[in-house]
Amino acid sequence: MADTILQGEKITRVFQQGKAETKVLDGIDIKIFEKDFTVIMGPSGAGKSTLLYSLSGMDQISGGRVLYRDQEISSLSENRMARLRAEEFGFVFQQTHLVSNLTLLENVLVAGYVSKKDSAEKVKERAANLLRQMDVEEAKDRLSSQVSGGEAQRAAIARAMIGKPGLLFADEPTGALNQANTREVLGLLTDLNRKGQSILMVTHDLQAAARGNRILYLEDGKVCDELALKPYNEMEEKQRERDVSQWLSRLRW
Amino acid sequence: MLENQIMIRAGMKRHKGSYIGIGILLLLTALSLTTVLMIALVGNSYIREEMERAGFGDLTAWASDVPDMEFLLESIREQEGVEGAEVQELVFSEYEANGMESDSEGQMIPWNSGSGQYRFFQNNLSGYAKAPEEIREDEVYVSPSMKSMMDLEPGDTITFPIARGGRKLSLTVAGYYEDPFMGSSMIGMKGFLISEQTYEDICSVIEETGMDALARDGGMIHIETESGMTASEVNRELIENTPLSMYTEFIHSADTIAGFMAILQNAFCAIMAAFAVVLLGVAMAVMGHSISGLVEQEWKNFGILKTLGFTGRKLSGQLLVQYGVTMGVGIILGMLLAVPMTGMVSRMTVTTTGVLLPVRFPLLPCVGILAILLLVPAGFCILRLRKIQRIMPMAAIRGESDRVSVSGTAFFRNGLRAKGLTFHLALRQVLTGRRRYASACLVAALLVFFASLAGRMNGWLGTDGKGMMDAFNPADLDLGVQVMGKLPVEEMEQMVLSYTDIIDSYLLAMPSISVNGTNYTANVITEPERFHISRGQTSREADQVVLTEALAADLGADVGDSVTIRGNKGSREFTVSGIYHCANDMGANLGMSREGYLSIGEDDSRLWCYHYFLEDVSQKQAITKALEQAYGGDVHVHENSWPGLFGIISAMHMMILFLYGMSAVFICIVTGMAGTKILDAERKDMGIYKSIGCSVRMLRLSFAFRFGLVAATGAVIGTLAAMGFTDPVVSTVMRLAGISNFASGNTLGSVLLPGGMVILLFFGFAWLLSGRIRKEDMNVLTAES
Repeated sequence: MADTILQGEKITRVFQQGKAETKVLDGIDIKIFEKDFTVIMGPSGAGKSTLLYSLSGMDQISGGRVLYRDQEISSLSENRMARLRAEEFGFVFQQTHLVSNLTLLENVLVAGYVSKKDSAEKVKERAANLLRQMDVEEAKDRLSSQVSGGEAQRAAIARAMIGKPGLLFADEPTGALNQANTREVLGLLTDLNRKGQSILMVTHDLQAAARGNRILYLEDGKVCDELALKPYNEMEEKQRERDVSQWLSRLRW
Repeated sequence: MLENQIMIRAGMKRHKGSYIGIGILLLLTALSLTTVLMIALVGNSYIREEMERAGFGDLTAWASDVPDMEFLLESIREQEGVEGAEVQELVFSEYEANGMESDSEGQMIPWNSGSGQYRFFQNNLSGYAKAPEEIREDEVYVSPSMKSMMDLEPGDTITFPIARGGRKLSLTVAGYYEDPFMGSSMIGMKGFLISEQTYEDICSVIEETGMDALARDGGMIHIETESGMTASEVNRELIENTPLSMYTEFIHSADTIAGFMAILQNAFCAIMAAFAVVLLGVAMAVMGHSISGLVEQEWKNFGILKTLGFTGRKLSGQLLVQYGVTMGVGIILGMLLAVPMTGMVSRMTVTTTGVLLPVRFPLLPCVGILAILLLVPAGFCILRLRKIQRIMPMAAIRGESDRVSVSGTAFFRNGLRAKGLTFHLALRQVLTGRRRYASACLVAALLVFFASLAGRMNGWLGTDGKGMMDAFNPADLDLGVQVMGKLPVEEMEQMVLSYTDIIDSYLLAMPSISVNGTNYTANVITEPERFHISRGQTSREADQVVLTEALAADLGADVGDSVTIRGNKGSREFTVSGIYHCANDMGANLGMSREGYLSIGEDDSRLWCYHYFLEDVSQKQAITKALEQAYGGDVHVHENSWPGLFGIISAMHMMILFLYGMSAVFICIVTGMAGTKILDAERKDMGIYKSIGCSVRMLRLSFAFRFGLVAATGAVIGTLAAMGFTDPVVSTVMRLAGISNFASGNTLGSVLLPGGMVILLFFGFAWLLSGRIRKEDMNVLTAES
């Protein structure tokens, strides 16, 4: 059994709008393991993204606690949380969310500099390598508005990876991409996982979910079911997708 | 129509922050401009009205020791162009109060309750009081400017040396009166209202003591001229055809007196008006930024509205109405607030101006201001709103704005550094979003320019008013002593030497002469090379004179020209050898050598003032005190200062503080408006930075750096502009007061301080504003956003 990298205990998230309260996460217990490619699925409004951001400290939880490598992070100060994000977490969003007035390279560099894990020279070298690896080297000096959605998302993955994160969070990373770009991005994430990168991804796309080796199904603020799959390179893609599809059918998704 | 109402109401509500900011800026601009206008217009007209009401003539001659006043008056009345002449009796006397000695003679004017000539103030100077039923024999009423000059308050004592042998008259200040003739602290001679009985008593002492009298009886002869004759033409007639010049101390026209009285408010108003224009520029820069930001923010909505059938013109019109309402409310409120503000300024400056300026709303000029303040920004709005008409609905809905993104890879390459990342990020944001920061930069430049200008004026003035004194003195000095009576000069000098060595000395006299028939003061000096010459050469030869720029302009003369000068002995032609600085009599004076003067005027030992340069300047006050104690009325001692100066300096400092305060308010509003818009637009970026681990402190610092950088750019522009334009701009204002030699000092502090302050203020306000970054929720990055 792999080590637990991230753990949520009785996580509750309640949104308040005036006097009305909406409970989006309802006492969830969850464990994410090292080197796993964990996927969270579920219908719209199930609380997938809310769970992702609650676990990553991007959003405050209303109850429960979150532990990263056995250290509680849900009560960390703002500054310590920022350090944790810089050193241990990487984020990939659906809307690429690159800083609009920085080039692709600079977006990656800023994150590398902030993480302070390596010298500036090493950060530059690693950024160049990552962009090459992500096949956006030629576009590295362009702004995000001057590149395609796929290129921007690949650069976003490079940015997420520059700090050598312990855990990569991905929120619908292919949600805004066309089929070709979706395959490319999923290929990159799979590749990263194969090299040992722990990933926690939220998606409602069956094809994307089939890349994971552990799929959690979230409904009404609770984890209802879980599907374990063999690692990606040990199982045919069609078979993975079929298994996931059958599993989802069982859950009436 | 209804749709317009809905849209306008919604727009006002949505952008209320911007509108309130613009409203406040225009309110302050209108307030400053209207207040300045009211003070300038009302101030000048009020002084003339009061002079007329109090019965002063078109021309006033100060005469003393006149043996037969009736004969003199008759001879004046007989002259062509003279409609009437009346004398207002008075006694000329030096005076001393609160340990300070007067710089010029005071004029003790008998007053009776029936005259109604003067108005009296409440003791706290907040308004007028009923005239007293009588002035008691031991009482005196003084001008409010005596408060700033000698710190005189009701209950204090003023001592007038009437005659040698200790014949002094001590009177208690009973209150203040308004003197529209000599009330300003810019005027050295001051009027004192005394009882008729006291006046009679003083005259008796003067008569009784004869040669030992220190005070002199005399009068102000108010001369009414016939229409069609100018004051200078009548003056010439009087000098040539009457014995007036034999008894005259000086003659001034009503215009000159009114000019003296209004020097301060005119100079200050000119500076404030310039500041108000700067504020208008700032308000427009902020409006430009606000419009751009608003259009950018509403771009998509405009696209949607266009799909509903709204035209670009209609959308622009709606925005114009929103801005128009904001501007209108701000400007009208500002103009209305100018009424109490003028009253407040009037009360605050009464101890300097000597008059309590009435609060009148000059309707026509104010309508003019309203029109300018509304039309100029409205025109500007229309220009800036034109781009709404270019919006293509679907392009706007898709989020394609007209914003030109900075392209070109070379521009960005290697732009960021790991070291100083916070600063480099700020620099990048400013460089790529420079349109957003343009208004802040422009505002910083304007405010730094003005703050530098005010600071340089302040620096020139100095804490001890040296700049001002140097402008008024024809030549430098440490101490001046005028010996009167029988006191030997050697004895006086021995006393000075007992305190410190005299390094150097010269003599200066200031007799009255006439040039081409008009009276002026001559600065007669034993060492003409001491004059502050700006052009040509000093008057080394006996047939040479130097003129001030103002007098040269009045006479239409220049270096090399000839002028005819008459003294009390005769007249002759002199050649103008140069132009010099001396702001006395608003610059209406000339300089000449002793030899030159003696060729047209009588010599008199009492005429000359001994000007000394001391080895130990710190002994000045001790020497002054010792001389006054030892010789009383037989010596008149003055330093390189005059009592009214400190009132002027404190008024100047107050005004500069006000300017700095206003600048700070403007910076706060500008940073608030620009910063809020930027933070709104960058909510997502802030979320991204947070997601990659940037701390709130780093983001706040980076945000504040942006404004610091922008302000620094503006500060450099403003400082350079101030270095280039301060002297010409301020000189123009100073010429109103006859000061033609304004040259500001360039100390490192005076150059850098205003810019530094403005940068700090922008940085500080931006830092405070950036506190909301802490509250920015990262949910802005979630997939649904």
